[in-house]
Amino acid sequence: MIVLRLVYLFMPVGIILAFLYAPAERLMGEASRMLYFHVPLAWVSVLAFLIAGVASVMHLVRGDDSRNLDIKAYNSASLGFLFVVLATAAGSLWSRMAWNAFWNWDPRQSSIIILLLIYVAYFSLWNALENNPNRGRITSVYLIFAMVSMPFFVFIIPRVFLSLHPDTLINPRGTVLLGDRMKVTLMICLISFTLLYFDLFFMKNRISRMEQRLEESLDNE
Amino acid sequence: MLKELLQNIRKDFIIEFRSRYALSVSLSFAGVSTLGIGLATAGRPLAPGVHAVLFWLIMFFSAMNGLLHIFTREEEQGTSLFLRITTAPEKVYLSKLIFNILMFLSLQLLITPLYLFFLQVEVRSLLFFLLLVPAGGLALASASTILAAIVAKSGGKGALFTVISFPLVLPLLWVAMTATGQALERPDYFDGRNLLFLLAFSGSLVAVSYLLFPYVWMEE
Repeated sequence: MIVLRLVYLFMPVGIILAFLYAPAERLMGEASRMLYFHVPLAWVSVLAFLIAGVASVMHLVRGDDSRNLDIKAYNSASLGFLFVVLATAAGSLWSRMAWNAFWNWDPRQSSIIILLLIYVAYFSLWNALENNPNRGRITSVYLIFAMVSMPFFVFIIPRVFLSLHPDTLINPRGTVLLGDRMKVTLMICLISFTLLYFDLFFMKNRISRMEQRLEESLDNE
Repeated sequence: MLKELLQNIRKDFIIEFRSRYALSVSLSFAGVSTLGIGLATAGRPLAPGVHAVLFWLIMFFSAMNGLLHIFTREEEQGTSLFLRITTAPEKVYLSKLIFNILMFLSLQLLITPLYLFFLQVEVRSLLFFLLLVPAGGLALASASTILAAIVAKSGGKGALFTVISFPLVLPLLWVAMTATGQALERPDYFDGRNLLFLLAFSGSLVAVSYLLFPYVWMEE
């Protein structure tokens, strides 16, 4: 899709704004620029998980007419895994600068590591069912099951237990607590990373389709 | 429907009492790990928080050892096909869920005093602890029933059961460990939010499992 090509415009603009346009935060200084990469990475890792979950629901609902939605769920999860690893790395660097420790088991840090574990478990299950004709259905069920348990640790646990993590964009007050220039930069970075995810997602889906056709043609020969 | 459910549960209990597989494996695991901890610490007192973590880790791995068998047994003995033909998937799920809950609560009845006795743990908020343990057990059994069905379909690999269950039961383990630590440490402690969390967690997972189970159980 042509809209996704906008990633090539938004991403460099986002990087330039993050380093040159947005002001450094008063307490954290230059290190605060990590915000423009950590937040979009965390957002995309959750978005990829949700899209994998929705694709899994549709795969089960449509049945025989699913059009490889299980493969699409897998593709989304594999991209989500990449983004969640990067979000965890960026978050631990932020944690080192803000709290002087790479890891301190803050509820929100723990939430992202649990999301990472879910991705690992999903891939283990996917590989264990390699020659099983019901692989798509069973892995879809697991992803939906994981999607239902996710709100418990992403939204509920950080609110039940004390967290040092700043309020997320989705906070109880419903406002983004940033200055105007920081807000614009963050929004541009969020859009760029979302476009990047969709561009990679559609690219992976095209590759999967090509692999499938190749396998079918080899089987026919 | 109730009659069919009760028949299935009765059948599972009869088979379990014949082989006593889940009971002996889970109890042996809990006994070995409790005694192992006791020997390693040589009677030295541990902090309440450490006891809470060890207690729930033993509960988790006991569940992983015992609760998988309910579905792998059907696959290994070739009775799953018969069950698929004769019983609706929803009824199969409910009967296995009830069996797993009853089984795990009974196991908790044996494991909890064993742990408290051998490691000399003093519970300061007994009422809260007595409500918390079965609430956590209910949540563990609810989450692991459909996961056991998934693993049975992938060849019944025990290690896979632990890998796919752990991230999903972590929220409940997390809450249960924290609340247990408080119950062991503080006299007259009672926090209903923790119990509510565990019950809400169980309820939501059971509701979703009920809807999804036919997709795991029935084959294409």
